[in-house]
Amino acid sequence: MALNPYDTPRGRLRARAEATRRQFLLLMGGLASLGAVIFGGFESVKFLFPAATTEAPLKFKTDFTFTDLTGGVAGGKAKAGAQVRSITADRVTVVLDDAGIYAVFLVCTHLGCTPNYVTDVVSGSGVDPAVAEARGMRAGAEKIPNGWACPCHGSRYFIDSTNFYGPAPRPMDWVDIAVAPDGYFVIDRGNIVAYRQAGDTTAPAWRLLVDTQKNNGKTLGV
Amino acid sequence: MSATPREASPIRAFVAQIWGSIFRHGLPTTDKVAARTALTNFFLHIHPVRVKKSAIRVSYTLCLGGLSFFLFILLTITGLFLMFYYIPSIDQAYQNIKDLQFVATFGLVIRNMHRWAAHGMVITVWLHMARVFYQGAYKPPREFNWAIGTLLLLTTLLLSFSGYLLPWDQLAVWAITVGTNMAKYAPLVGPYTRYLLLGGRTVAQGALIRFYVLHVIALPLIGFLLMVVHFWRVRKDGFTGGL
Repeated sequence: MALNPYDTPRGRLRARAEATRRQFLLLMGGLASLGAVIFGGFESVKFLFPAATTEAPLKFKTDFTFTDLTGGVAGGKAKAGAQVRSITADRVTVVLDDAGIYAVFLVCTHLGCTPNYVTDVVSGSGVDPAVAEARGMRAGAEKIPNGWACPCHGSRYFIDSTNFYGPAPRPMDWVDIAVAPDGYFVIDRGNIVAYRQAGDTTAPAWRLLVDTQKNNGKTLGV
Repeated sequence: MSATPREASPIRAFVAQIWGSIFRHGLPTTDKVAARTALTNFFLHIHPVRVKKSAIRVSYTLCLGGLSFFLFILLTITGLFLMFYYIPSIDQAYQNIKDLQFVATFGLVIRNMHRWAAHGMVITVWLHMARVFYQGAYKPPREFNWAIGTLLLLTTLLLSFSGYLLPWDQLAVWAITVGTNMAKYAPLVGPYTRYLLLGGRTVAQGALIRFYVLHVIALPLIGFLLMVVHFWRVRKDGFTGGL
């Protein structure tokens, strides 16, 4: 008669210990697997966030020079009248007004489209053209109510990028502009020099001065 | 001279064996054979053996889910053809679409079929959901299938959204700019979601390839799996109130 080795008091004890041991190993193994899945999964998400991208750098050089924009300097003032130069591909516009030069990063604060330069920005908006003219800080014949209009949902901005119409919640940002030794402008879209919250209609005083080719350091909200 | 019986012809026997190996039953002559035909055929087995006449009153509910599935198949086939010409590169994508339309025979037809079927599928899926809702067909025992259906609706909309970018025209770029900026407004995860979708900060090459992969592989696969479950549950839960 073959005896079941577990069918004894000592055997039963051993069987129970065996079962407990298995449960313990199962628990440990399970926890280890769970941990591996959690941490491994967390690390794996990084796959979709590459350390570098092939996007254009935020800092770039314009294809026009300081002289192209200002027409040269005479008596500390630009020879050319006020003007606007847009670099559509890089979504930046450079504005020359009586106080100096500044660059607006043309990203609509509503949902990120690129607003276009328009010369009759107040048309149909119910805003007095004189308000828009005052924003321009320009002299004489240059005083036209020009600004930016977004093609996506119709937001409009004065020339100094202050929003006044449509769904845009706040003004567009101004970014750093400097003159490189070779006379071209260097614009750094990663360096915001005027950031305004919703409802802030202050006209930024930051300018790249025409006579010294240095900025006046009067940043706003940054 | 005795004629060889037809059954004795070796060629006929060979053909009969092949035919018989594929189609296990002849044309249904009795209810029993009809039932067996449906049960033993892969493509037919999803159908119930018996359906009440009232359940297939197509004119009543228009079989909108079936229409959606039909459009999905149409989109899969036409999309496959589009892939022969389309290269997901920001330098080539738009020109590929033009080439497809004006250089490839029937390219214009295929592209438009894909486009209109896509619009159509979004419409039929919404209407299907409305029909199910108004008929109360989301109630037990069909509540799980309603949940699967909402995921299918989401998949359909994401397919539509991701396909929108691929022509790489102005409409596409700005629509995705707007869409992903909306995603950015989500609390906490918003900016990460946008970066995840675009593979960067702007709608550029990284965004195009991500949307392409989502559009042609990931989302159709997810949709297909969900559809398999969806149809299986329709079959199991029954459809007595029309399709």
